[in-house]
Order: sequence, then C-alpha cells, then structure tokens
Amino acid sequence: MKICSGNILFRKKLTEIGDKMNMIKSLKLSFEYTQYNEEKESKEHLLALKDIDLSVEKGEFIAILGTNGSGKSTLAKHINALLTPVRGTLWVKGYDTNMEENIWEVRKTAGMVFQNPDNQIIATVVEEDVAFGPENLGVEPKEIRKRVNESLEAVGMSEYLNHQPHLLSGGQKQRIAIAGVLAMKPDCIVLDEPTAMLDPQGRKEVIDTVIRLNREEDMTVVLITHYMEEAIQAHRVVVMEDGAIIMDGEPKSIFSNVERMKEIGLDVPQVTEISHELRKNGLNIPGDILSTEEMVETLCQLKSKT
Amino acid sequence: MNGMTIGQYYPVNSRIHRLDPRVKLVAAFIYITMLFLVKNFWGYLFAAFFVSLTIYASKVPIIYMLRGLKNIIFIITFMLVMNIFFTKGERVLFSIWKISVTMEGLILSARMAVRLILLVVGTSILTLTTSPIQLTDGIEYLLKPFKRFGVPAHEIAMMMSIALRFIPTLVEELDKIMKAQKARGADFDTGGLMKKAKSLIPLLVPLFISAFRRADELAMAMEARCYRGDYNRTRMKEMKLYPHDYRFMAVVGAFCIAVIGSRFV
Amino acid sequence: MSIEIKNLSYIYNKGTAFEQTAIHDINISIQKGEFIGLIGHTGSGKSTLIQHLNALLKPSTGHILLDGEDINADSSKLKRIRQRVGLVFQYPEHQLFEMTVYKDVAFGPENMGLSKEETDKRVKAALENVGVDESIHEKSPFELSGGQKRRVAIAGVLAMEPEVLVLDEPAAGLDPRGRDEVLGLIKSMHSNLGITVILVSHSMEDVSRLVNRVIVMHQGRIAMDGALNEVFSRVEEIEALGLRAPSISYLMKGLNERGFGLPQDIYKVEDAVDCLLKVFQPGVCK
Repeated sequence: MKICSGNILFRKKLTEIGDKMNMIKSLKLSFEYTQYNEEKESKEHLLALKDIDLSVEKGEFIAILGTNGSGKSTLAKHINALLTPVRGTLWVKGYDTNMEENIWEVRKTAGMVFQNPDNQIIATVVEEDVAFGPENLGVEPKEIRKRVNESLEAVGMSEYLNHQPHLLSGGQKQRIAIAGVLAMKPDCIVLDEPTAMLDPQGRKEVIDTVIRLNREEDMTVVLITHYMEEAIQAHRVVVMEDGAIIMDGEPKSIFSNVERMKEIGLDVPQVTEISHELRKNGLNIPGDILSTEEMVETLCQLKSKT
Repeated sequence: MNGMTIGQYYPVNSRIHRLDPRVKLVAAFIYITMLFLVKNFWGYLFAAFFVSLTIYASKVPIIYMLRGLKNIIFIITFMLVMNIFFTKGERVLFSIWKISVTMEGLILSARMAVRLILLVVGTSILTLTTSPIQLTDGIEYLLKPFKRFGVPAHEIAMMMSIALRFIPTLVEELDKIMKAQKARGADFDTGGLMKKAKSLIPLLVPLFISAFRRADELAMAMEARCYRGDYNRTRMKEMKLYPHDYRFMAVVGAFCIAVIGSRFV
Repeated sequence: MSIEIKNLSYIYNKGTAFEQTAIHDINISIQKGEFIGLIGHTGSGKSTLIQHLNALLKPSTGHILLDGEDINADSSKLKRIRQRVGLVFQYPEHQLFEMTVYKDVAFGPENMGLSKEETDKRVKAALENVGVDESIHEKSPFELSGGQKRRVAIAGVLAMEPEVLVLDEPAAGLDPRGRDEVLGLIKSMHSNLGITVILVSHSMEDVSRLVNRVIVMHQGRIAMDGALNEVFSRVEEIEALGLRAPSISYLMKGLNERGFGLPQDIYKVEDAVDCLLKVFQPGVCK
C-alpha cells in the first residue's frame, strides 16, 4: 500500500481501517511500573512489557501462557484499558486505548473477567450483579432485563437468578462474572487466570462455557492461563517470558518445544513429553502429540508396521 | 451462615413487605417524629394501635419484634430507675433516706419507657420487612435532592450495598483465619480482658489486609464493567409507586392527624 | 507416633434445619513416616476430616487416638495436640499478621510457651527448612512475593516441630514453577525431618510425584485406600468417583486395550518412556 509520505491524515485513516480488521492489535506496546524503595527516595522503573506486537482476529480463541511475572496479566489489563501503554499503541476494534475518550468504548468491547471469583461480585443477588454492567452503560431497563436473562442462559445459570452469590461454588461464581460481562454485549472477552482459584470441576465448567461462547457465538476470547490443558484447546497459543512474547503459534507447534517450555517453567502435556522423549530415542513418531487418543493411535500404527 | 439472611430481614410476602422502600423509610421518619409530639395517653394509644396494625399486616412473628427490645432492656431499666428516683415532684409517694419517689417521676418514666419501646418496635418493622438492598435503594433515592448540597447520595448507597454484600464473605474468612491461628496454638477464650483483646490481633490484621485487597480488586472489576459513578446510570429494577403505596400513605396521614389532634384533648 | 481414626462421623448444624452429615464412619490407621495423599472432590469431606486431626472439630461420633490416647478426652491438652499435629490450610499466606517474618514464624512456638532461646532456634530452623534466607527475617511479610509468603506461612507451622504435618492443597493458585517448588519442599521435609505428611489435593498428578499411599474420599466416606501405584491403576473405579486418574494411566489403559500388554501401574513419564522403548526397541540397552 503506497502512502503519500506528507499526508499524515490519510496515513492515520488507513491505519485505522487496517486495525478495524483486527479485533485487537498492538504495536511495540511497552509498560513500566515505577517502584519506590523504602525511604521513597529512589525510583526504579521495572519494565513489565517490552515491545509487544500482537494481533487477534475476530472469533479467534487465543491462550496467553506464562509464569508469574511474565507480564501476561499486565497485557490483559491493557486490552481492557485498565492500564495504558507507556510506549507504543494498542487498538481494540480500531479504538486507540491511549485516547481517554475511547476508554469506555474499549471496556465495553473487550470485557474482562478476573481471577478471584468473590472480588468481582458486587450485588447480593445474582440478577442484580449481572445487571451492573448494562446499568453503568445507561441501557434502558427493559433491555437490561432481557440481557440479564440471555446472559445467564448463555452461561447455564438461569435457575440461579434470585440466588445469593456468596452461596455459590467457585465455578458458578465465575460463570456469573462471565454473564456480567456478556450483558454488556462485548465483541471480545479477556479472562485473566479465571480458573486459578477453582477446583477441577469449576475449571471444567468455566472453560467449557468459554469454548462454547467462542464456537457458537463467535466471541473473540483471550485466555490468560498457566494450565496447559486449557491452552491446548485454543486456536493459537502465545507464550510470554519477562515481558516479551517469545512464542506464538498453534498449540501443537508450541507444546512440541518441550525443552524450551520446561526451561521457562511451564508444563507440557505428559503425552507430548513422552512422544518427544521417544522421538529423541530414535522412534519415528511426530513430536507434537497433544492428546492421549492421538498417542494411542500413533503407537498402534507404529506397532503394526514393525 | 448457610441460608441465613443478612441483618434482621424476615422474608415473607405481606402487604408491608410489598410497600415501596421509600414510602416505608419516610413513614418511619414521620412515625418517630410523631412519637415526640405525643403529649397524653390518647397519643400513645393511637401510636400503639398504628404499630399493632402494621405488625399484624407484616405477617412477621411477634417474637422478632421483641428481639429488638431485648437489646435495649438495660437502657430502659436504667432510665426507669433514674427517672423514678430522681425526678423532683410534688406528690411524694414514699422516701428512702433523701431519695423520694414522686408520682410525677413515675408518670414521666412510664412515658419515656413506652416511647422508647414504641420507637424500637416501629423501626424493627422497617428492617424486618425491607431487604438491605431495598433499604439502600430507598436511601439513595431520598438523598438525591441533597446532592446539590454536596451529599454523595449514590456513593453512600453503593458503599452500603457493597458492605452488605461482603459481610458473609468476610465472616467466612474470619472463620478460616481463626482456625489457622488456632492451629498455631492461638487461644481466644481464656484470659482477662487485656489478654483477650491482644489475642484479636492475629485475627484482625489478616482480615483488614484481606478486606483492603478485596476492595482494590473489586474497584478494578467495577471499572472494567464501565462503572463511573452516577453518570448516566439506569436501574434494571425501577422503583414505582402503586395504589397500595398511596393507601398506606393515607393511613400514615390519618395517624398523624390523630396524634396531633390528641394534643388538644 | 501413630494415629487411629475409629468410626469417625461429623454432622454440621446438628439438630437444626441445616443438618448435614459431612463424614460417615471413617476408619484410618496412620503410622510414623507415612506420606499420604488424600484425594476427593470439593464436598467429599476432606476438609472436615483433616480438621478433626488437630481437634479443631470434635467428632459427632467416633474417636481419634494419637498414640493410643483420645485427643478430645482432655480439653486442656488441646494446645499440645495442635503442636504435635500441624495443619497448614489452603492459601496459608492469608494468616500472616506480624511486623516481621521472624515474629510471625515465632507465633506458634510462643503460644507453646517455649523459652526465647528455644523459640529462636526453632524459628531459624523452620525458615531454613523452607528455603527463606536470613536476610528476609526482618522484612515485613507483606513485602514478599506470593511464593515467599506461602513458605513463611508453612514455616510458621513447622516451627512448632509437629510429628504430623497436614497440608491442604499447598500448591493451590501457584503456577507450575511455584507448584514444583512447594511440592519439592514438602518432599524434602518428609525425607529430612522424618515427619508423617498428609497432603490433601485435587490433583492426582501432583500427588503422584510424592506420596506412597493414597486415600480417596467420596461423599463423606473412604472409597479407596492403598499404595500409590495400586490405587492409580484402578482407572475405572477412579472415574466412577468422578475423579481423573493421572494422564499416563489413561495412556497405559488405552494401549492395553489395543493389546500392548503393558504394566498398568505406571504413572511417571520416565517409566512410560522406558516401558515403550522396550516394546519398540527390544534389545537396545538403555
């Protein structure tokens, strides 16, 4: 695309159009925390994000993996404009998050669900909590009612309409939180380690809900996690370390880098590790097997050949 | 804490429960004002009659009303004693040493006791028939006119409802902290007042820290859901006045007239 | 040191409308030095059970005997029981409250009425055992990272020198690296200090790296109790309880269904690799 170098306005328009095709796009996004020492004298600038270039298409399900301190949560908060870049830019559906007038549009477009199920729930009754978002947006009361009912249905919690949230299980609370975000009719949901505090049953409930929303409602999903069994279900996995993106690709290609993943401090599915080791020892099988079924099939085929 | 409702609210479907919370709040305020305007026996009779009617219509068992009184029994007794023995009057009934019991004293203390009892029972009806959320919604609405004087009506109501929401959560957390400290040999039962007070530190410090952390995370979650104070905010459940609210207001009106009228008897 | 749990039952809110039997008729025998994994769903009764071990809860029926003596017989001896059976709850960092790391860890020994010298000895030993350096002793616990806080909290229980250490989901909320560190710590505590360890967890995989005995609870009762590899090989039974066996167990099961004839009780990656290599590369020395 040839752009007249002198025509800044024209260039800006083209960039905007280009970005509207991506749900999320970041260019050299950097973020710093300022830390003061005990006497509040010296300042230390800690770089939490370094030159992040990321794009997410509409309808994609991407998982962002990394250990604590990798910057994944910081990145998530940028997508929802809870944080703004110190350097670089982030656009959500074409809206530049650096511009203050865009903040509410951004937050409406990219809803966010947090790690602690309890600390997201504001009301004493489920339906009132789900209504909180649309109420803030000034939506008309009848429409709020409709959205609340639809959102609760989408997460499978319709029968809990009048329940008190503090009596629900962790997985149920997180689904209410997701419903609360859905009620704002976002295009994208960002989930920041939503299952870290849940038991296996709760984790399953939440991930199943998220996958269904992505597949059936074409919801763009950004899942921050350190659970590889969740990441392998995504279309794309992005691995972060020390504030930078070090790997970006399909689950198979990411997880087959067994040594690198372990070096970073991340888990790899046990079958992937096994296939990797077998391959190292000379067996002619692919090194990127992710599921038990696939492993069984591959080994059976290998056995029938010998 | 399973299933127990917050505060005193007794959930049942009665005429009084169905009234708009704003109406009930204003009625409670008017009622208390009237209690101080009562001058004679007739006034107290009207008040007692009004209260009894409301209790009956609320379908809440009397025992709950009386619970509120249990808390102030000490105050009532103290007041009674003070007024009976220390009021100066003319018609002396009997004396012990220099302290005399007068008829005036007896009547005055009886009046104060009755007034206090009616006050407590009346406000109990309010909290027993109105859920915490309804109360905060009502308070928010009624405080709105004072916004021009700088009263942050919306913020006050939001703070109250969030506090109510977190009470059971914090109670649960306190329980967990208590168990963890007991597992380290902490003792909350034995010892004198000072020792017991000191033993609360391992409970309160973690609880406070946790509360602050929760507040921080909650604020972030609220912002993420586009909360920006009262700017352009709508409500899913709008408070509307219905005929039964107007009827009740008429009853309150009649009560006022009766009390004021009784002053001239 | 031995623990005998006999016919233990516990009913919450007995006599009210909210009455609920949390655990029924539990019988377990624990010997010194065992490393036990207690597994079950939320609601299976694990939490209720472990709170009986240090007398935080009193049985509705049944007894708990520590070295032959009923722990609930004498309420003045409760502190001693809680010193001998140390309990680390989930997210133990939430219990930190003192001004310095040192003081917080000293809370337990101080409650035991130990002398200053003895307390100092124990605090230092406990912090060393959990890998917290001396330079951190005088820092406020609230300045530390999540992982460090958790270690300090565990040290707080360790400082009482318990004979039995019960840990409820010690790796909860940690990332893989943090989880490995904590579990590694517990493993070395078990082998170096010779204490009996009971690890409560949801994760079969976590447990499989450490313990030698597994007890599975389901709806308030003991469903399975046996050696690690024996329990994990019973994949169908585990599934029927709504739990998941370690993924390698599924692999072995799947391969055996296709006639591979491999041992079912393998659950470690290295063992699986060795075993499969033997199948495909017979005669190649490893």
